Order: sequence, then C-alpha cells, then structure tokens
Amino acid sequence: MSGTGGADVSAKPGLSIFSKYEPLRERASVLNKLGIDPFNMTFDDIMGPTRGRIGNREIILAGTNNYLGLTYDAGARAAAKDAIDRHGTGTTGSRIANGSYVEHARLERDLAEHLRKPSCIVFTTGYVTNLAAMTGLAGPDDVIFIDADAHACIIDGTRLAGTTTVRFRHNDPKDLDKRLGRQKFADGGHALVVIEGLYSMFGDIAPIDEFAEVCERHGAYLYVDEAHSYGVFGEGGRGIAEDQGVLDKIDFYSGTFSKSLASVGGFCASNHPEFELLRKVMRPYMFTASAAPANICAAQAALEAIKSRPELRRNITDRAAQLHSGLADMEFDLCAPASPVIAVRRPNEAQAAMEWNWLLQEGVYVNLAVPPGTPQSSSLLRISVSAAHTEEDVRAILAKFRALKDNSAELMNEMMRRMQASE
Amino acid sequence: MPTDQQIYDKICELLKPYNVKNKPILRTSGIMSDLEVDSTAVFDLIMELEDFFDISIPMEVISDVKTVGELVLAIQELLNQ
Repeated sequence: MSGTGGADVSAKPGLSIFSKYEPLRERASVLNKLGIDPFNMTFDDIMGPTRGRIGNREIILAGTNNYLGLTYDAGARAAAKDAIDRHGTGTTGSRIANGSYVEHARLERDLAEHLRKPSCIVFTTGYVTNLAAMTGLAGPDDVIFIDADAHACIIDGTRLAGTTTVRFRHNDPKDLDKRLGRQKFADGGHALVVIEGLYSMFGDIAPIDEFAEVCERHGAYLYVDEAHSYGVFGEGGRGIAEDQGVLDKIDFYSGTFSKSLASVGGFCASNHPEFELLRKVMRPYMFTASAAPANICAAQAALEAIKSRPELRRNITDRAAQLHSGLADMEFDLCAPASPVIAVRRPNEAQAAMEWNWLLQEGVYVNLAVPPGTPQSSSLLRISVSAAHTEEDVRAILAKFRALKDNSAELMNEMMRRMQASE
Repeated sequence: MPTDQQIYDKICELLKPYNVKNKPILRTSGIMSDLEVDSTAVFDLIMELEDFFDISIPMEVISDVKTVGELVLAIQELLNQ
C-alpha cells in the first residue's frame, strides 16, 4: 500500500507485466519449499578459495569455479590493492570514451604472448567477451555454427549478431562436417564455428583437434571458448587446445578472468592481427565500462602464477581424479570422465534440490543445475574442484556424498513431508 | 522433393516419442504450448528432421516456429531454396 490515501500505486489495468512468469514462480516456489533458494543464497562470509560460512557453520566450497584457487593468492591480492591505491576504484567509462589504462594494454600484450597469438582484446566480463567478439566477427552474409550444448553467452552472441546460426550435435565433428558441407553461402560469406574447450555443466572435453581439421578442410574460422580450461589444461596452462597440440589452429581463443584468472573480466586472442579493428565495431566493448584497475591487475598476477606454477595444475588434476573415482566407486551417475567439473546426475529436479540443501546443511556447497540450463534436461549436483582443495577436503566431500546415498530414503520422505506441509 | 503431406507425416512420426500425453497432433497444435514438448526436446526433434531431409534449420527459423503447420512450411521453404 502507498501513502497516497490507501490506493495501491503498483496496480495497473489488466494482467501484470509479470504474469508471463507465473510458471516460473510456481516452479521456484517448489524449490523454496525444500529449503534455501539455491539460486539466491548468501554466504555470511567467504574466508578463502575453499571455505565459506553460513551462520556458525563452516562450508567447504566445491562449486565456485575457482579452479586454481588464486582469488586469495598473496600476489593477486597485493596487485589489486596497489592498483586501487594508484588508480582508484573504477574506470567510470568505456575504453573508447575514457581511454585505456596502461595495465589494460599490458595484460592484452601478455595474454597474446602467452597464447602465442598476435592480437588480444580484454573485455569487462567473460559473458561480454563472447557477445562482443561474435557480433564483431559475424556479418549478415556469414553463418555461425554452434555446438548443441553451447553456453548462454554464445547463444546470446548469435542473437545479437543477427546472423544465420546452425547448431550441430554436441562434440561431434562429423556432424559439423556434414552441416558445413550442405550449407550454401552468400558471396563473400564465411563460416564461423564456435565451440568450448571444457563444457561447464557436464565437464566433458571437446575434440578440438578434430574440429580444427574439419574447419581447415572447409575453410571455416574456428572460435574456441576456453573459459573453464584456460590455466587448468596444457603444459603451459594454455587450455585444451594446447593439450591437444592445436593452439596454432585456433583463429579466436576466448576466456574469462572469473575462473583461473581469479578476477572479473574476459579476453579474446586471435591469429589475425586484423582482429584489432573490431575494437571500433563491437558494441559490447564500446558501450560498457572497462574492467576496473584492481580486476586487471589481479588477473595479471594470476597470469604470472599460471605461467610459473605448474604444480597448481598437478594439484587440481589429482584432486579431480580423487573425487571422480570416489564418486564412481559409490556408483553415482557421473556425466563425463574426470575433469575439474564433475556433474552428478540426479533423477529429477526436486530430489536434486533436496539433496543440494542437505549437502549445504552438512557443510558442502556444490551447484544445483537444472533445465533449461543443462544438457539433456538433466538435474545435476555440479562440483567444481580447486587446486586449493586438499586431499582431506576431497575425503570430506566424498564422506558427505556417501552419507547422502545412505540416507536417501529418509531424505526423500523428508522431501515429501515438506512438499505436503506447504500445500 | 517431398510433398507438404509427406513433411507433415514425418513430423508427426518424429513427434510421437516427445508427445508424452499422446495429444492429437494437428497442424494448428502448438509444439511447446499444446503438445508440451520442452525446449531441449524441440531441438532434438529439429536435428532428426534436419538429418531426414538433409537440410539445416537455422536457429532464428526455429524460434519463429510455434505450430506443427509452421514447421511444415519452414521445412518446405528450406527445401525449395
């Protein structure tokens, strides 16, 4: 009610503008009946890359994509603090309007050098990176080919580009080959193939080498998003493309700062020096504030760690193998072989939500992932492993999953009770 | 070149496993709204149709298609190109 004589100022004639979300409201209310809202929860404190706190309860963080655990790295924190002292807290505008800081340029140069490519552009977030690059690269005569399990930012990038977009079967180079073969192109039109290195929901890895061969044969440009694999895979941390020996075949290589690079931002590096021209056409680059100095300098420090500390990659590989084999021994349905993303498939959304709440109550935070954000309409308990996890942390996570399995009958009874109690 | 009826029949055949409530499949049936096929299943169905007719149905075309009849027309148009 308002203070204007009792009239409800929020009332509008006809159906509310929010009425279209009624099915979503109903679905969300089911999740809320089961406990904490998994998509709107707050930690009372985050104390480190693997520890948070809710009330008096310490929580093992196993769903933060903090793959190398560098958000609390002494070098990254010192670099961010120093950047604030020297350059202040924000850039207050875009690089087109306000200019770049020398740190933006240095990070672009060093990322390009690390990826052995002549060009690299830094963006404000990983999401914006793919949005910007795809709108800049694809023109009206071009055709974008995307994997069926593409991340939302890739799908949104195709929509913003307004270009003909064709999906091919997930991780299937032969299916791409077939679709490239039958596509008719306008004069001057090109194919841009967009894939990811490590898929963020199931944790499965793309055969980038096979995709590169198909692209080469068809004269298509290959764009690889290594958001979840840069820093984690490859001898030098250059991702799955390096691991499979095809880094030089990738025309456009994108990544994010918000995972291994321990910050917020994104980047796209290219084999083509002309990529630099796109700074003047990519609207999501031109019309948004540039990354803050602290974010840029933290990412710069994390990049140095990726280059100089290969033991981080060994740690995360070992911990991922330990967790994956432990869950497999318990006969959980796992979506892919061992990688830093381990997805446990559950029978349905309500059960997955109930189990997610139980794990949190027991001190383990994982991600609840549900359709339409998941492949094959799956409901998942998604775990992301960190190099900062210890063997003991992984044993503790496994113990909770074991207890989850042992208590499943009681948990389902409790789920039914909560659902019925709120009806 | 398949006829309009052949395209419609093929869509009905491929839709069957996704039509879990076994509702009548008419040209006016909304694929998601009436037949209650979820968005993931729609994309699976589209890929099966693409393979059968050896065409690619771009995503922007799929997002404009709401009914079975519109899907028939979209496929016919792509086959004619």
